[in-house]
Amino acid sequence: MSETSYAVLGTFETPDALMQAIPKVRASKLGTVEAYTPYAIHGIEEALGLRRSPLGGMVLVMGILGALTAFGFQYWISAIDYPIITGGKAPDSWEAFIPIMFEVTVLFATFTAGLGMLFLLNKLPFFGHPVLSSKSIKSITRDRYVLALEAESEAFDSAAAAVALQAAGASQVEILPAPDRSPFLTSDYILRAAGGIFTACLGAGLVMYFAIKLFPVMAPMKYMQDQPRLNAQKPSSFFKDGHGMQRPVAGTVARGHLPTATGTQEEAATLANPLPRTREVFAVGRQAYKNRCEVCHGSVGDGVGSLTAAYGGKPANLQAQQFRDYPDGKIYWAIVNGKNAMPSHAADLSESQRWAVVHYVRALQRAQNAKDEDLKVAIP
Amino acid sequence: MRTDAAIPAGDIPEGLVEPSLYVGKVTPGSLDDQVLAFPETKPPRKWYFALAITLTAALIGVVSIGYTFYLGIGAWGNSSPVFWAFDIINFVFWVGIGHAGTLISAILFLFRKRWRNAIARFAEAMTIFAVICAVIFPLIHVGRPWLAYWLFPYPNQRALWTNFRSPLLWDVFAVNTYFSVSLMFWYLGLIPDIASMRDRTTSKLRKVIYTVLAMGWRGAASHWQHYEKAYLLLAGLATGLVLSVHSVVSFDFATSVVPGWHMTIFPPYFVAGAIFAGFAMVVMVLVVVRETMELKNLITMRHLDVMNKVILSMSCIMGYSYMMEGFTAWYSMNEFLHHGFMNIITGTYGWAGWVTISCNILIPQILWFKKARASYFWMILVATGVTIGMWFERFVIIVISLHQDYLPSAWRIYKPTMVDFGILLGTFGIFFTLVLLFARVLPVIATTEVKAILPDAQPSHHGDDHHV
Repeated sequence: MSETSYAVLGTFETPDALMQAIPKVRASKLGTVEAYTPYAIHGIEEALGLRRSPLGGMVLVMGILGALTAFGFQYWISAIDYPIITGGKAPDSWEAFIPIMFEVTVLFATFTAGLGMLFLLNKLPFFGHPVLSSKSIKSITRDRYVLALEAESEAFDSAAAAVALQAAGASQVEILPAPDRSPFLTSDYILRAAGGIFTACLGAGLVMYFAIKLFPVMAPMKYMQDQPRLNAQKPSSFFKDGHGMQRPVAGTVARGHLPTATGTQEEAATLANPLPRTREVFAVGRQAYKNRCEVCHGSVGDGVGSLTAAYGGKPANLQAQQFRDYPDGKIYWAIVNGKNAMPSHAADLSESQRWAVVHYVRALQRAQNAKDEDLKVAIP
Repeated sequence: MRTDAAIPAGDIPEGLVEPSLYVGKVTPGSLDDQVLAFPETKPPRKWYFALAITLTAALIGVVSIGYTFYLGIGAWGNSSPVFWAFDIINFVFWVGIGHAGTLISAILFLFRKRWRNAIARFAEAMTIFAVICAVIFPLIHVGRPWLAYWLFPYPNQRALWTNFRSPLLWDVFAVNTYFSVSLMFWYLGLIPDIASMRDRTTSKLRKVIYTVLAMGWRGAASHWQHYEKAYLLLAGLATGLVLSVHSVVSFDFATSVVPGWHMTIFPPYFVAGAIFAGFAMVVMVLVVVRETMELKNLITMRHLDVMNKVILSMSCIMGYSYMMEGFTAWYSMNEFLHHGFMNIITGTYGWAGWVTISCNILIPQILWFKKARASYFWMILVATGVTIGMWFERFVIIVISLHQDYLPSAWRIYKPTMVDFGILLGTFGIFFTLVLLFARVLPVIATTEVKAILPDAQPSHHGDDHHV
């Protein structure tokens, strides 16, 4: 035969017929034997004398490489380049890297198994293979089993190959001519595709450019600061009074500052002064008295303060017998709630300052009404 | 794909004989004609009708997501302290749905369960679509989705790296790996089927598309050898992955100290729940496919029976897990954990706890009866119940644990908004839209794999000559 052919294909009806034909066709030694089947057939690789797939080893190597890559990457980032202490653990604590190591291992192994099989071992994609343009390909992917004798050299005898295949039991024989060029991946096709992609990109770019020019102020996204939410110093429609910042609820008490219940002045009479009569407490009481009380009640508590003349009022003379007989609680009550023209001092004096003032007022009263026996106490 | 050598049926007791995987006579040729008919012919009117419904739902979701992007996360009901709500519930829910596909395609493949072949393709496709739905949620949950690429560790001018000790970053890797591996597994399985569609089609456009997608697959024995090996390896890798992905998702919860989240049982409990929810979804879709696409002889009642048995066993594992949660709360004498557990049954969201328990534990028990496993009514009821129940299980875990933790002053009631519901509905729309489109353009049954297990598909006695 003078014409060059690529291969001769013989079609078989059953896998058994195919398997029985393989040794016979191989024995003819006319060319390379290859089988085409719609699904994987067991034992065919031994019958055809194919070498074992090296995929397992490839996947193992790449999997280990993936694990090492993930470990090295995470270690370098977390311990060397940008050390972060999380949960009090050392920067080089590696236990937390294991989940990502596992994932990257699987990722590397998967891509090796899948893409390695397709691209490296099976040399796909291959659109121009002669078998793809044969008449038999329709039956190969459907339900027929095809044995091919492929040409190894120019001296391939396609007629002899056809006879050998028929002798082995092939129901149909097809001679495949040598391939010309792939009708799919010609340079003309590639050029046209590249031109199309370029034009599409150019068009999309122009559309984007003019869209931004025409609608420059249209914000595509609102930022977080513009979301509906409460701002401390700004109005808000969320609360009925229209304020963003709300006053504490009536009766709110700060931690550790539970005030003494005062009630009426008569009820308060039973309260006892919780503070001891120490030098420090008297010092606090004197300071608080000077700041808040002296201006009206006077420096010795006799009701002659510096404001009295201008004010025209008549502040209580704390040295009077009436006030000397007052229990501590009544004085405390007056500080908290105010009395007559005197306003409440609750907002200005803390709990301990109030009681310290009570102590100091007692000291003033005693100093102004000292008895002889008081002197004995002072002189050792 | 591989099958054991045929053993004469007379040699083994009747109870051990595997019943046929299909009804009637099926040949490789008739299989192609039957399965590939749907993608090759014009779809029926009810397909367009279904597509209209799912696209409407998807559109509602797209609008809700767009509104969220426009307004910010304030559009959702989650505020302090329930910062995780519908978004993470839906994420965990959809990742879970995907697990059935990987289980069927990988684990059952390794166990040589031949009944998987007819339903593996569909389940794998559902995995991919479910993961697509799932990844939407972390993306929109970050608040500024156009900056979501910050999650990836890449060299940048800010000289910042991500924190590899955060389980949320593990999630990024786990879900991305899961999606890549599932996609590759699915595509690899599709290549021989696409090749047969390429050789059957008469349309010029379809011919070009299928030619490119089939990558010039021609069924050579030397290719099949590598292909089989790659498929086996991928099944092994995917098996490890399916167990790891939901475990990593559960670490998001388990590594924090919120009462109700800080539990060692979470990884296995999440994986079992994921398979549970996934199988329910597969059963639901499979029943519809079986009825509408005339595949009754290939997807038999036996397939559904086995699927229902898996659902039943997973239901029992879920029951055990719930009891373990209660036991841990009681035995640890941790009052916060105890309070959290009592909240599941008696708290503000106690109804959700009861929905979870009844849908996941009580209703599936009907599957103990053979008649229920063979009845559409009961299996659809159970599958719907499980889907609802598993969604609420994630609601219970996330919202109940967050709305009351250690400080009573920080307790809040969570109320989802219409936007939350819109996005949830939207993902169902996206999922079923993708399912419908898939059924339209690709074979819903892995014809190549089914061909390989038909009788006489393999040479008798592995090619030895001494057969009868």
